[in-house]
Amino acid sequence: MESIEQKKDMQLLIGTALRIGVMTACAIALASGIYYLICHGGEPMPDYTVFHGEPSSLTTIKGIFAGVLQFQAKNWIQVGVLVLMLTPIIRILLSLIDFARERDWLYVSITAIVFLVILSNSLAGA
Amino acid sequence: MTVLTFTLILICSAFLAGLLGSLTGLGGGVVVIPILTLCFHVDFHYAIGAALIASIATSSGSASAYVKEGITNIRLGMFLEIATTIGAVGGAFIALWMPTNTIAVIFGVVLVFTALMQQRRSADHTAVVGSDLARKLRLYGTYPIKEGGVKSYELTHVCGGFSIMLSAGVLSGLLGIGSGVLKVLAMDSAMKVPFKVSTTTSNFMIGVTAVASAVVYIQRGYIEPGIAFPIMVGVLTGALTGARLLKRLNVKVLRQIFACAIVLVAINMIYNGIAGKF
Repeated sequence: MESIEQKKDMQLLIGTALRIGVMTACAIALASGIYYLICHGGEPMPDYTVFHGEPSSLTTIKGIFAGVLQFQAKNWIQVGVLVLMLTPIIRILLSLIDFARERDWLYVSITAIVFLVILSNSLAGA
Repeated sequence: MTVLTFTLILICSAFLAGLLGSLTGLGGGVVVIPILTLCFHVDFHYAIGAALIASIATSSGSASAYVKEGITNIRLGMFLEIATTIGAVGGAFIALWMPTNTIAVIFGVVLVFTALMQQRRSADHTAVVGSDLARKLRLYGTYPIKEGGVKSYELTHVCGGFSIMLSAGVLSGLLGIGSGVLKVLAMDSAMKVPFKVSTTTSNFMIGVTAVASAVVYIQRGYIEPGIAFPIMVGVLTGALTGARLLKRLNVKVLRQIFACAIVLVAINMIYNGIAGKF
């Protein structure tokens, strides 16, 4: 039987990780959003009524980070989006470590399946 | 309209969406889609992308508090996430070829269903005899009660709950919403999980479910930074404010007003969808 203290620790860690992830993502999005408004705030609003897809510089990791180095505001916002998307994934990995430490192999496999579904999906769509 | 005006209006609307979403327990995504499509005439695909962002932000933000309190059943959440993530991937791919007008009609129907489910009284299950499968999967749990100490519970109908979760996943991949109502239905009604555990575990799962489809949406170019940033900032601050207010406010009346508003929005969505206006 796992100790209640140990279980509490993990719950605290998962909770803290979720909060830090969301806050970091939000801070990046806010800062780059202000930067985006300084650069483009006065321009007329882009036409969002028709879907035309984003350029590959905003849809692939490589493209996003290339733009980040050139200080493209939209790419910086997209980094915020990526951090936000990573937050639940990190939560899965923390659970995986926790179940492994408890030697709960059934749940190590269950968690691994969930992780693989997301991972294969991120690679397959590229 | 300039980018600045659009952004400021969107931040305020997103704040309201997050606030209402957390006060009524529906999540931010449900409000974000009608605001973007009906008020700003933004294309439905962009709206779904934005709703996914809103769902991840609110779910992760509020889950951090519940997990620490020890109400969330992490094992149950993990196990059912197999169903929701597979469903979400399926839903995201269906959304790629399905006409937007059809998606709008489905969204409207889901909204009506959501509003109806909100009116349902939650009965607490007592003396539930758990099934063997649930025992083998070690899904039984405990949760803290107000009087201090913990209360243990058992659960049943694992397969039924799992299949409802599969549809919840498809809907959330298709519409970008957390489909929390369907998740609670699976756990509370089918598996007889205590209501409080159902709602927090559902909320805990929404982030992972939304990410499974968000990875498809971002690669297909459905996530537009100019919309994502006001939505993320607005919804998150709104949701945090809502969580604070929730402790002091009686939200019963608000929930009823909101349910009526949701039905009106839903009718609007279904009408516009059938008329082919998206």
